[in-house]
Amino acid sequence: MNPPGTQLCQSCGKMINSDYDKKKIKDLMRYDGSAIRSKTRSRSIFDKIWIFFTSIKVGVAIILIIAIASSIGTIFPQEYFIPVGADPLQYYTENYGTPGRLYYELGFHNLYSSWWFIILIGMLALSLIAASIDRGVPLFKSLKNQRAKKHPTFYKRQRLNLQQANTKNTERVIEGFRKKGYKVKEDQNHYLLEKGRLSRWGPYINHTGLIILLFGSMLRFFPGMYVDELIYITEGDTVQVPETDGQYYVENNEFIVDIYEEEGTVFDATVQNTNETIVSNYQTDMTFYENQNVDVVGAPPDLEVVEDYSLQVNHPYQFEQFELYQSSYDNSQMKSMTFQLEDSNGETVGDRFTVALDNLESTYEVGEGLAVEVRAYAPDFLEIDENGALISETPTPVNPAFVFEVTDDTSSELSLLQIMSSTDITQGNEYSVKFVENENHWATVLTLKKDLTLPLIATGFVIFLIGLFIGSYINHRRIWINDENGFNISAHTNKNYFGLKKEINPVLEDNGYGEIFDRDAQDFDKGVIIVEGK
Amino acid sequence: MKKQTRNILRITIISSIVILVGVTLWFNLTSDIQAIQVGDEAVDFQLETLDGGTVQLSDINEDKGVILNFWGTWCEPCREEMPDMNEVYNEGHDDYELIAVNVSEGEQQINQFLASLDDELSYPIALDRNRDVTKVYQIGPLPTTIAIDKNGVVVDKQEYQLTKDDIHRFVELSTSE
Repeated sequence: MNPPGTQLCQSCGKMINSDYDKKKIKDLMRYDGSAIRSKTRSRSIFDKIWIFFTSIKVGVAIILIIAIASSIGTIFPQEYFIPVGADPLQYYTENYGTPGRLYYELGFHNLYSSWWFIILIGMLALSLIAASIDRGVPLFKSLKNQRAKKHPTFYKRQRLNLQQANTKNTERVIEGFRKKGYKVKEDQNHYLLEKGRLSRWGPYINHTGLIILLFGSMLRFFPGMYVDELIYITEGDTVQVPETDGQYYVENNEFIVDIYEEEGTVFDATVQNTNETIVSNYQTDMTFYENQNVDVVGAPPDLEVVEDYSLQVNHPYQFEQFELYQSSYDNSQMKSMTFQLEDSNGETVGDRFTVALDNLESTYEVGEGLAVEVRAYAPDFLEIDENGALISETPTPVNPAFVFEVTDDTSSELSLLQIMSSTDITQGNEYSVKFVENENHWATVLTLKKDLTLPLIATGFVIFLIGLFIGSYINHRRIWINDENGFNISAHTNKNYFGLKKEINPVLEDNGYGEIFDRDAQDFDKGVIIVEGK
Repeated sequence: MKKQTRNILRITIISSIVILVGVTLWFNLTSDIQAIQVGDEAVDFQLETLDGGTVQLSDINEDKGVILNFWGTWCEPCREEMPDMNEVYNEGHDDYELIAVNVSEGEQQINQFLASLDDELSYPIALDRNRDVTKVYQIGPLPTTIAIDKNGVVVDKQEYQLTKDDIHRFVELSTSE
């Protein structure tokens, strides 16, 4: 019995549906004429969804939409690349105007995690699975149930065929093909010779790989599977490692930048030729701690040293399933400011004093009987309040301002000092505080990574490539031979007919038969067989 | 393949893809919003206070409601609401405790601000030096004020300056059973 939709009889290869366009013989042979599953009768809602997604047109449309969306996603930077802390909506609107706003509203700023992109990927997965099952199952069946015996019209329909009167050499021809690696199936005096059937499974193996790959990338959204975060540590600070529930801490003992110097190596010439310094090493000397007191948030951690480690680029520190990478550094934050007292004649008085902005002392003794008291400090000076207090706009020391009180043996005087200017508060000040220099913090920026999906994604990729190789470089070749009514031979391959002819013709020639007839070549030049290629 | 097998296969594959995509979307949409909201249970914490002691939420929360006020000296609405809160606090606070959690500032800055106020603040100021508590509570803008009732449940949250009426409402909510 042939299921509905079958084009070629499964037992003999005779065309069942004579209405079928005879020129589409190639389509017909793709699944050996058996019915594509979606063409069978079915009516439930699941069947309708299924049939919709089995369509190659739908599949191609989904891939196209994904490709177009992905390319639109490269027009403006992804959210990952905009400055840390910036409000995305504001950033995109200010920098790219209305298109930027639209870009943000539609979720292109975070393309791979926008809801519609995830749904598209889900549709792609369904399309891959549905189309593969829909075509794979009948293909498997038809290849498994192949019979050697075919109707004479089947022979005629093949692109390569030949009929000759001499039937004496059939056995030798079969033997010739067997030597070339063909497997032979025999049914009375009908023969089926086949090799490279694996080629037909290439696309399905390929799709399996893709499905595994998509599944792996989906797992990245699941909690605990994927972490990619920045950790900012000022030199000397100890911070909690995020995503570990306060169990681990990292201390930045020292951040080091080494540069290449001339030291009698082959690199000397290059170092001489460039005006810039070339960094040879970024390194964080860190101490890794485990917290023994993780019960209560904010409670002072009870830290136990796990180990000291020198973190360099590409030499991550590993713990549990996490890795810490040296990622970047920052020295834009002000650490301390150094000042010098001057008298009214502009002569320096006393020693310099350094104010550490994170840890201010109330009074600095500068010698010669003088003391400087910090009466007020604003890290990011905005204005002076009604009651005389300094108002800071942010807690970050980007525009520090101080009220200093300078005291000598007899008197004291006040002055307001900002980076750019200094104002006397008391009248007729004798001393002025001059800004000398400032020192910035060195902070290291580390990347915390964890990716449990990587093995799955790698497996998917390898399977994908194996499938691609099998589908592209192996040819499925089949030859049918019988000597029922003269010597009959016909051949089919899923690609590279030229190669197939080159394989068949020497065997035929050795046994006294002519070259095999190529219907496609015939079409070009009546009656004359032309050699393809070259 | 039998028709029944085919149907089961189709239904299973379609449903599992729909479910997996749904779960992925759900994880994706919820990953950003972990802030403690009204109705959630408050997370216990322990912090040092400005006067050198320690304060632990669960200790106070045993028999009192708690109001958490996250603030910074550089934040103008914070500075403006604090004297009001002090006034309400001084009217009596037997049933609740008010903790002003300073977000990661130096003691010099805090003391400088307190000195500029007309009246001394009576309620304790906790120091969240490493933003541990701020992070756990996912505090966005300052000031943010949270009311916790005696059962340890967050009953109110406001992410802008409190008026006196707001403060009274917070007190009422945190002390209600």
